[in-house]
Order: sequence, then structure tokens, then C-alpha cells
Amino acid sequence: MTGADAIAAALPERRRRTVGSFLRAYGALLGMVAVLVLVAAIKPSFLSSANVLNVLRQSTVLVILASGLTVVLMLRGVDLSVAQITDASALAAAALLVHGQPVWVAFAAPLVLGTLIGAFNGLMMAYLGVPAIIGTLGTMFIVRSGELIYSKGSEPQILFTLPKAVTQDFLFLGQKAVGAVPVLILLALAMFALAQGLVGLTPFGRYARAVGSNVRAAFLAGVDVRGVFGAGFVVSGLLAAVAGVAIASRTGIAVPRGAEPYLLDAFAACYLGTLASRTGAMSIPGTLVGGLFVSFLGNGLTILGLGAPTRFALNGLFILLAMAVGALRRPA
Amino acid sequence: MPSSQAERTLTRAAAHALECRGIRKEFPGVVALDGIDLAVRAGEVHALVGQNGAGKSTLVKILTGVYAASAGDLLVDGRPVRIASPVDAEAAGIVIVHQDQQLVGQFDVTRNIFLGREVVRCGLLDFRHMRGVAEALLARVGGNFPATTLARDLSVAQRELVAIAAALLREPRVLILDEPTASLSNAEAETIFSIVRRLRMAGTTVIYISHYLDEVFDLVDRVTVLRDGRLVSTATVGDTTRQRVIDQMVGRSLSQLYPKEAVSLGAPLLVVDGLSQGRAVQAVSLTIRVGEILGVAGLVGAGRTELAMTLVGALRRSGGTVTLAGRSAAPRSPRAAKRQGFALIPEDRRHEGLVTDLTVRENLSLPGLARFTRWGVLRLAAERAAAVDLVKRLRIAPPNLRQLTRNLSGGNQQKVVIGRWLGGDARLFIFDEPTTGVDVGSKVEIYRQMTAVARDGAGVLFISSDFEELVGICDRIAVMRKGVITATHAAGDLDVARLMDLATGGDAASRAPANEAADPARATSSGIPASRGFGSVLSRWGTVAGMAVAFAAIGTMAPEFLSPVNLLAVLKQGSLLAFVALGLTAVLVAGGFDMSAGAVNQLAANLAAGTVAGGLGTAAALGVGAGAGAVTGALNAALVLAFRMPPFVATLGSMFVAMGLALLYNHGQALTLYEQPTFFLIGQGSLGPVPVIAILLAVLLLALHILFKHTAAGLRMYAVGENLAAAELRGIDRRRAVLTSFLVGGAVLGLSGVVLASYSYGASAVATGLDFLISALAAAFLGTSLSRTGELDMVGTTVAALFLASLSNGLILLGVSNLALPGIQGSVLIVSILLGVVGRRGIGQVTIF
Repeated sequence: MTGADAIAAALPERRRRTVGSFLRAYGALLGMVAVLVLVAAIKPSFLSSANVLNVLRQSTVLVILASGLTVVLMLRGVDLSVAQITDASALAAAALLVHGQPVWVAFAAPLVLGTLIGAFNGLMMAYLGVPAIIGTLGTMFIVRSGELIYSKGSEPQILFTLPKAVTQDFLFLGQKAVGAVPVLILLALAMFALAQGLVGLTPFGRYARAVGSNVRAAFLAGVDVRGVFGAGFVVSGLLAAVAGVAIASRTGIAVPRGAEPYLLDAFAACYLGTLASRTGAMSIPGTLVGGLFVSFLGNGLTILGLGAPTRFALNGLFILLAMAVGALRRPA
Repeated sequence: MPSSQAERTLTRAAAHALECRGIRKEFPGVVALDGIDLAVRAGEVHALVGQNGAGKSTLVKILTGVYAASAGDLLVDGRPVRIASPVDAEAAGIVIVHQDQQLVGQFDVTRNIFLGREVVRCGLLDFRHMRGVAEALLARVGGNFPATTLARDLSVAQRELVAIAAALLREPRVLILDEPTASLSNAEAETIFSIVRRLRMAGTTVIYISHYLDEVFDLVDRVTVLRDGRLVSTATVGDTTRQRVIDQMVGRSLSQLYPKEAVSLGAPLLVVDGLSQGRAVQAVSLTIRVGEILGVAGLVGAGRTELAMTLVGALRRSGGTVTLAGRSAAPRSPRAAKRQGFALIPEDRRHEGLVTDLTVRENLSLPGLARFTRWGVLRLAAERAAAVDLVKRLRIAPPNLRQLTRNLSGGNQQKVVIGRWLGGDARLFIFDEPTTGVDVGSKVEIYRQMTAVARDGAGVLFISSDFEELVGICDRIAVMRKGVITATHAAGDLDVARLMDLATGGDAASRAPANEAADPARATSSGIPASRGFGSVLSRWGTVAGMAVAFAAIGTMAPEFLSPVNLLAVLKQGSLLAFVALGLTAVLVAGGFDMSAGAVNQLAANLAAGTVAGGLGTAAALGVGAGAGAVTGALNAALVLAFRMPPFVATLGSMFVAMGLALLYNHGQALTLYEQPTFFLIGQGSLGPVPVIAILLAVLLLALHILFKHTAAGLRMYAVGENLAAAELRGIDRRRAVLTSFLVGGAVLGLSGVVLASYSYGASAVATGLDFLISALAAAFLGTSLSRTGELDMVGTTVAALFLASLSNGLILLGVSNLALPGIQGSVLIVSILLGVVGRRGIGQVTIF
């Protein structure tokens, strides 16, 4: 650190509350709303209550998955294996039911699987020092191979052809409602609350932000930086597995590699979420906003007759846009 | 000798090699330098001395173009010069050897010396010539190691010699040596002195910055003293004395109020016996009693911070015992130290003390969070109450708990770092330079807290190079020099000048003979990693051996693997992968990371297939592919450079954009090509028995190898990728290196797409971006473990790519399902990176990308 930096940094930052600063703080959010309003203007059916409810139900998987990824990104790690864990746990849940296991096993075993994969990731990154980009990419492909070998090359596990008595308890989660509220949405809310509670109300959350911001300072302040960094991957593995169970239950079928496209959506949700915070930091509520936007946009594009390629390109652009806006907000 | 010196002084008195006239430097709110009139005579050795904060480093930064002066003129050889960057300084003939010699570890001595000043013949680096010059320079500075030694294998002293050799290459008019002996043993320092004397003989002007006044008086012709940003005096060493220089450095005692309280001292609290840490801390023994404040006075490089870090377990001790409150204390981490009662206020407040992205409150409670936790949940109200209390007690301003600590002033930041330890049950507080860059009011507050914890029964270890505050606040003061505690005195027996005298080496007894004897052994153990033994053999040859074993095993179990037909097929597949991996490697060298490698390959394959299908021919396809790749590379570089995005995020975004564009282009349908014999020649043809694709690969490999290993641009890309700070100090433009890296990599990735389209009769509709990426990453990282230096290497990447293709092929011949291939690729990727990171013990954050 040079003397000039020290002195420049020591000066209190002056904030002028003007229209400009308001736009800088919330302009990106207004932009998101504007995009959706545009879609609605072209296709009014976009905002029909049936469609909105449908998108909300679909968005639950993404929100749960992206919340876990957010925790890892907060730690300044990255988890490229999340979507694959979701995929594997959906497959595991469905396969267990197909093979006559009790419903509670179909719910619990995938979560154990996700936690174990997360723990493997955590050990590798936090204790062996493998860069997270490389390590989780490796995990992703190992898990994919496991799925392919198990399913003999992408044979789907189909639930809806099974007797109703076998599946109804499992499908309750994804297809039924309590009163007017779909269970799936309740699950997503619960997971959101859990993740937000973990980040905001536990020592782990505080340590996670410290490690993500300055790992050396956290270490010298007596934080178990390895443990915290590793635990982040366990959290993301577990939440990814919950998302997997939710997919299997919602669709009644598990197609190997079917959940992989969620990887892009999850990253887009997290990075778009940074626009919701004034400091450009990762946050669980931000990711919720980002996840909803990505889901509604995807649906809107489909209604407009635009397919997956447009979604790829647009989401990629949104990631870049979010980061560019963030860079412009930060003082040089 | 004295007469010739006098004569020289006379003949050159008129000529000033360097002159500062009225140099002034202001930072917001602070005047760091004012009215500096310094004249350095040609051919003299001129010392610059002063306490920490006197303005030496600011002056040096102005001379070397790191800072711009607010006012004043610089003259070199009597001519005014304008120095706005390190490059300008070098052009004006001012060259500096920094205290921490920044060298690129993976480069040999020759490359390090010539970095930024490469000798080029016919566009290629002339290594023969450079090595010759480097050997000659090494001989000049008395270095007896070959110029082919890797910098990372050098000892500290040897690195210093290389840094000086590199400076001499620049033929300096004025050579600045910044604390050249700070981290050297006495024997090693002698080498530096003889170099300086030889330079003087040869007529080089030297500005010598040092805290060690003995050295200064033995070595230099004249000495200039700075204090509080002003030049106090310049004198010939014969006309001044050590004592007078010390008095001038110290100045008149300020009427600073030190809130020292008389606390009755209790039983010994901390007993350190023979604590050692490498060569930084050598057999340190000290005792702190309950209620006592023990000062550690020492200069930069004395090992004070290492002592603190060793006490709290942030550095692994190499010997000695510590007891705290009667219990043995050997913490393996700061976390364990915290539980045993240690509290550390680190020296570098902004990088080691505060988590600047957290609020005041969050920083205050960070080490003691367990106290505010019940059933695993934070009791936010209790935490807030405790923070409010601390903010009041420490007078932290503004008293806003939700303020991000990055926005606080230095003094208030420091109070937060101190405050976080006050609520707990810490018994020993280690303050490492707590008052640097802190305003007077905060200083007094910091002293008051120090006294208060001592009064409450804790002990304080107070490390400082501000000797005035040590004398003012401590009960006893230990003097530390070059890793050794040389003396301990009651503070009442000392004044600032006496302390300065002790710390700058007045005490002849401090040069302990035992240390001298141990020096050569230490130099080896800390310099050259000879102790790695088996591990180093494994990391050097393990990959090669592993590959050979895998090859032999597959060949034995599946003999058809070694049939010519199969080997040629493998060569084709491997070449295909090698194209992608080479493009990725080119980006990795200086650009950081490239998630988009596979996606760009696919986009280019689609565009190329489309071009050929449109009847535009092979040449057009090659152009379109390479062009599309280069454009993507340029965009990635722009995102990284202009928007300061981490390369991972930037290329992740462009990966998805490229995937989307590819799918938009092919409308989700495979672009299959028929009857395009010319185009198919690239990926499928052969010349005699040799596949064309392998020939193209060889050509590309040769071109890339020459570009990256035999041109100045390549050398600079490696330097930027491996040690950015060192590269920038040599005036290398990071932006240009990053842009080149991305452009070359992008173009190669584009070409790889064209080759893919030709090999596979067009482009597939499936998004395979990540699949190609993982294979290419595995090849690139596996390749690094093949090279001597462990760096990215085009040849290594190619060999690894060919190996990976053989492995896949062989495993399938052995009956392994192709469904298992992704998993095997993933495992190979993880193992190949493990070979590199094992033993480094970092954590896998994305900071490095």
C-alpha cells in the first residue's frame, strides 16, 4: 500500500443523494422491470395469473440452486458442479422410487448425496488448495459420468407411470398446493429463509463474508478460514440437492443431464443479484430477485417464440452487463 | 586511498549527477515532503537516512516516477528532466534496486536481468548474447552462480545480486539502493558493500538508503538526513559524526503527551525462550510480566513482525518454547492462539487487520463472535450493545455501527482493530506498529487503550520503529536487529537517541559470532529448496513416469492400441484437442483465465462449416474462424482491462454469449458438410502416412513456441502472468500483454474450430463448450507438470493433449465404457492441478484468476 492510497482511503467518502446516484443504485433494477414490462406489452398473456403462478413454480428450482451458489461466490469461491449435483439428486430420487424404496429415502438420500459431493469439493478446495474453478469443473464431470453409467447413457427415470400410491407422497411436494399456495413455492420460501438466516444470523455467514472480503485478515483475527471456505461448498451441495428433489417431484421424471442448463441461469441470477445491492455484493435476497428475473425472462422469451439460444446469449450478456455496471459504480 | 578520494571529490564537485530543487509533495491533507534541495555529486555514494515517515520513500518514489512531485524541479547532469513514470526515470538514467527484489520466480537469472530490456536479433531473443552479458554482470557483482539458475532457487542475498545486476544493465547515471542489506546477514551484507565500493571506483553515482548507520559511515561519501518531510542536513561523513546524525534524525523531543500510568507489575505472564522462525527470528527470549508493556524496537527487516506472527501461529516456528500464564503455548494458527489468550493487532491495518468490506460492528465482533452466539444463532442485540459500548469507549468517529470500515480514517480503522480484542479474555496483546499513518488524537487513544489493558492485568508487546513512543509508553524496551534481540533496557534508562543508536547498530556486541557461523547453512535452507527431496523428484518427473506407465499398461493389456492404424487415429484426435488446448494456454499465460475457450471453438466450427457450405471455400473458412476467435479474444480482453472484471466472470459471460450465438447461427441443427474434399483435407487428409492435422499442429506449435519463448512479447506475457508487480517495475505494459495473450489465444481457438469442422464433417448442434473446455484445461495443467519450471508451456500442453487422447482411446479399447470418459477427464484435471498445488497450502479462492 502506498502512502497516497492510505490517505485517499482514509478520507470519508462523500455521498451526494441526487437523481444520478439514485439511478446508479436502482437503475439496474428498474431496467429489469422495464424489460419484463416490454414483454408484457407485446404479449399480455405473459402477466396472466396462470402464467405468473406457473413461472413462480418453475423458478423455485433456480432460486434454491442459486442461493447455494451465492454462498460459495460470497466466499470468493465458485461452484461449477451445482447444476450437475441437482441433476444427480433428481436422478437419485426418481431411481430410488422406481426401485421401490420408501418415500422418505427418496427425499433424504439425494440430500446426503449432495452433501457428500459438496464435502468432497470443500476438502479439495479448502484443504488441498485446488482452485475452485478447476476442482468443481472436475467434480462436475465425475458426477456426470456417474449418472451416465448408472442410467446406461441417459435413460430417464419415469415416475408418472408408477402406481399413484407409490408416487403421490413424493409428487405432493412438486405438484400440490396448500390452500392456494403451491407446496413448491413454500419450499423455496423455506430454503430462501434458511439461506438468508445462515448468511445473516449465524457466525458462519459472518465468517463467510469476512473470508470472501479479506482472507488474510480473517485468518489473523482467528477465523477458521479453511473450515468456512469448505463449508460453503457443503451448503451449495446440499441446496443443489434440494433443488434436484424439487425438479423430480415437479416433473415426475428425471432425465440425466436435464438440469445442466440451470448452471447458466444460476450464474446469471447471482450476478444480476449483485445489482440489487448498493455495494455490488452478493446477497441471498439479490439472488432471489435475479432468479425471478431470469425465470420470467426465460418464460417471456418462450412466449415471444424465442428459444434457448436467445436465452443463452441474453443471460451471458446480462452477466457481463451486471459486472460492467458494478465496475462503473466502484470508484477507480 | 584517502587522497584519491579527496581528489575525486574536488574534480567532480562542480558536476551534480542529480539535483532536486524545492521538491514538494502533498497528499490530501498531508505535506509529505517540503522544500527538498538535494544535490548528489557525480561519482559519489550518497546516503539518505531518516526515521520511518521522514519522507525517504516518498522522495525515492518521486525520483523513480512512481509519484509526481507537487512542486519543484529535478535535474540530471544539470539538465532538467520530467519524470512521470518508471520508464521516464530509467530513460533519465535513474535506476532503483528495491528492497524486496521483485523477480519472476520461474525465469532464470538471464531472463530476469533482461526483462524489459530484451536483446532481439531478427525478431527473436538473442539468448546467447544475453547470457554472456548476464554472466559478465554477475561476475561484476560477485555472483558465483550460473545465469541459468531459476530465480526461485536463489537465496535472498543472491536475489539481491541479480537485482543489482539488472540495474547495472540499465547503465544508470544514478543508482538507488533501497535498504539493500535489510534482510541480509552481516557476511552477505559485506558482499553488497564491496559491490558499492567497486561501483564507486567505476564512477557510478549511488544513492544509498539504509537504517544501519554503521554501514553508512563505512561506505558513503556524504550523508543527507531527512526528518518530517524536510531535509535537515547534508554533510561529508568526515565532517559529521554518528551521534550528530542520530540527533538530527530524532530532532527535538516533541511535547507529545504519553498517558503512561504506573502499574505495579505482577508475575511473569509471557515467557518466550529461544523462539526461532527460519532466519527472520533467531533464538528470541523475552519475558513480559502481568501489567507490563514491553517495547520491541527495531528497523524494517529486523524480524519484529515475524516474531509477532510466530507467536500467534501464523508462521510455523522452527524452535523454542513459549508459555503464557504458566501454560505452554504453541498455537498452530491464530485461531488457536486466540483461544489461548493472544490478541494480535497486525502491522498492515488495511490488508491484515480490517475486513474493509464489513461494517464497524462486524469488524468489532469478528474474533469474539462465539460470545454472541447461542444455539448457533447470533444474538444480534447483544452484539450491537457490545459494539456501541466499544465505539464509545474508543471514541470511534463517526459513531456509526453500519459504516463500512473502508471509509474510516486510518486512526479510526486502527481503533476498530484494537477494539475487537478488548471484549474478550485476551491476556497478551501484540501491537505491531499500531500508530503508523494515524492522526495524533487517535494515537493518544491507542496509547490509552494499551495502558488500560496493562492495568487490567494483561501484558503488552509493543512493536514499533517510532522510538519516541516506545520510550514514552513502555516499561522495558528490547532492541531487535536482524532477527536477534540484542539488548533489553528499562525504558527509564533510555532516551530516543540512545535507542536509535542501539537499533542502528552501534553496539558492536550485537554482531553475535554464533549467527555468523550459522549463516551459510541458513542461506541454503531458506534459499534453495534442497530439503524437498523425494517430493521434488516426484513433482518434476512424476507426470512423465505416470504417462509412461499408463502407456505401457494399455499397450500390454490391449496390444491393438499400439497398431499403426490406431496410433494414427489417436494422433488425429489428440491433435484436435491440442489445437483447443494451445489456444487456451495462450490465454492462460497472461490473460488469467478463459471459460469461453470451448464455446469459441464451437462458434468458430459453426461459422466455418457455414462458410464452406455457402461455397466460399476453405481459405474463407479459415479466415472467418480465426477472425471470430480473435474478435472474441479482443472482447474478453476489453472486458478484463476496461471494466476491471475478473477474467473468470468476463469469459463466463462471453462463453454463454458464444454458445447462444452458435445455436442461433445453426438454428439448433447440425451443419453437416458433404463433398468438400479441399476443406476435409485439413482434418482428415494425410501426407503419406502423416495426418495433415498433425502437420498443421506441428506448424502451429512451432509458431506459438517461438512467439512465447523466443520473442520479447512472449517473455513479457509470461512475466505479467507470473509476477505482475515485477513486470510493472520493469516498465512492462500489462494491458498490451493481456491483449496480446487474448488475441493470440482467441485466433488459435478460432482456428481450432475450423479444424474441428473439417475433422467432423461440419458442426454439431449440441452445446459442447464445457466438454472441450475441461479437456483443454486438463491438457494445459497437465502440461505444466511436464516443464522444469512448472509453468504453462506450449510443448507441454501439446504432449499432454496427445496423452489424454491416447488415454481415452486406450481405455475404450480396454472395454471401459465411454460413459466413464467425462469422469476420467475430470479426475485427470483434478490430479494434474493437485501435482502443482500440493504443498502450497493455499485455499482455492478465485483471486488468482
